Amino acid sequence: MATLRVEVVTPERALWSGLAIALMARSSEGEFTILPEHTPTVGDIVPEVLRVATDEGEIRFAVHGGYFQVGPDREDNVTLATVLAGVAELTTEIDVERAQAAKEAAEATLSALSSNPDDHAGAALARAALARAELRLRAASARRDVVQ
Amino acid sequence: MAGGQERILRQRIKSVNNTRKITKAMELIAASQIGRSQARIVANRLYHDGMRRIILEAALGDPAGAKSLLAEPERVTAAVVVVIAGDRGLSGAYNSSVLRAGERLVIQRRSQGTAVRLIVVGKKAPGFFRFRGIDVAASFTGFSDRPTFSDAREVAAAAAAPFIDGEVQEVVLVSTAFLSAATQSVTTRRLLPLTLPEAPAVSEPTGLKGYTEFEPEVEKLLTYLAPRALESEIFTALLEGAASFHTSQQRAMAAASDNADELSLTLTRIMNRARQDSITTEIMEIVGGAEALRARK
Repeated sequence: MATLRVEVVTPERALWSGLAIALMARSSEGEFTILPEHTPTVGDIVPEVLRVATDEGEIRFAVHGGYFQVGPDREDNVTLATVLAGVAELTTEIDVERAQAAKEAAEATLSALSSNPDDHAGAALARAALARAELRLRAASARRDVVQ
Repeated sequence: MAGGQERILRQRIKSVNNTRKITKAMELIAASQIGRSQARIVANRLYHDGMRRIILEAALGDPAGAKSLLAEPERVTAAVVVVIAGDRGLSGAYNSSVLRAGERLVIQRRSQGTAVRLIVVGKKAPGFFRFRGIDVAASFTGFSDRPTFSDAREVAAAAAAPFIDGEVQEVVLVSTAFLSAATQSVTTRRLLPLTLPEAPAVSEPTGLKGYTEFEPEVEKLLTYLAPRALESEIFTALLEGAASFHTSQQRAMAAASDNADELSLTLTRIMNRARQDSITTEIMEIVGGAEALRARK
């Protein structure tokens, strides 16, 4: 039977790798699912919760943007899906309090900046920080309904 | 005169030994960092190789669109040069060799009529270039020992922006490649336009070239991929630079400790001789004095 191997890789470390049933994520074109024997594909991943279905249940990641490549692995009958992300974490590793604090700090910065519309760079930074914090919180709250 | 020289020598030995303590400590700290920075190079390899594979795939999928990112520029009127050095000294030739290579490149490009925007990493770099009258467009400091990916992003953003805006036709990187624990060498290579990782005719298991699907379409993908590729290359260079720095500091400090040992030994011998001399002189004086007293009796 064909199998799927998933690798989630960041520049700092290989986050996760193993056999899976399916990989679900979102690209700039919309949601997609990768199953074994998927046709070779290269694409992007927008910041969203990425889910990997395995025999032991679902593993979730907060992926802050990246790319993926699907292709045949070295072994026969194995499809390799590699996810490359600059920043990504397992939802179980997310520090909810820190993310909450980061979200509040970013919101405070944004509201302080609203009186100063010229600071585009500062606003963009704050918005990016806010988006990251919100994704982390969303990913962390999603982990409760994971089948252990 | 008795003991004077001996005291001076004793002070010098003490100061040499203190210096040795410092160099030995620095040697041990650098040695402990080598392993860690090497592990980070290994950890990054998967991402780096994956990024190169994706770019290769995308470039093969759209040869026409890839031309703007891959093709040799017809005329280079302006270029960005990124030089990666260290924040700290006392590391042998690490900083000076990469900085001198950077200086040579800048001079060579300028003689060809290319305007150079210089981006440097490491505290040692801005001073070096300013002293030589070379303007530094941007400098990044404070992370050369332990670079993170977001540091690489900042550097890459500064380097890629003028290329994407069309102000420069080339981005060149000067850094130290960590080939092994024993060999590091200064390398100069072009980052943008992208150079293809391998010859396209690779017989990889991904043998279905040309049948790859792209999401979104490959032109769009390539535009966004180029800055990501640059980040990955710069991060790799930063990691290798850090590992090279620690290796070279460890080597330099080991040599300094050895020199201090040798110096301390030599000085101790001289001091002992001086002490014996002074004792001999003293005995001679006492004996001479006693002889004189007896002779008077």
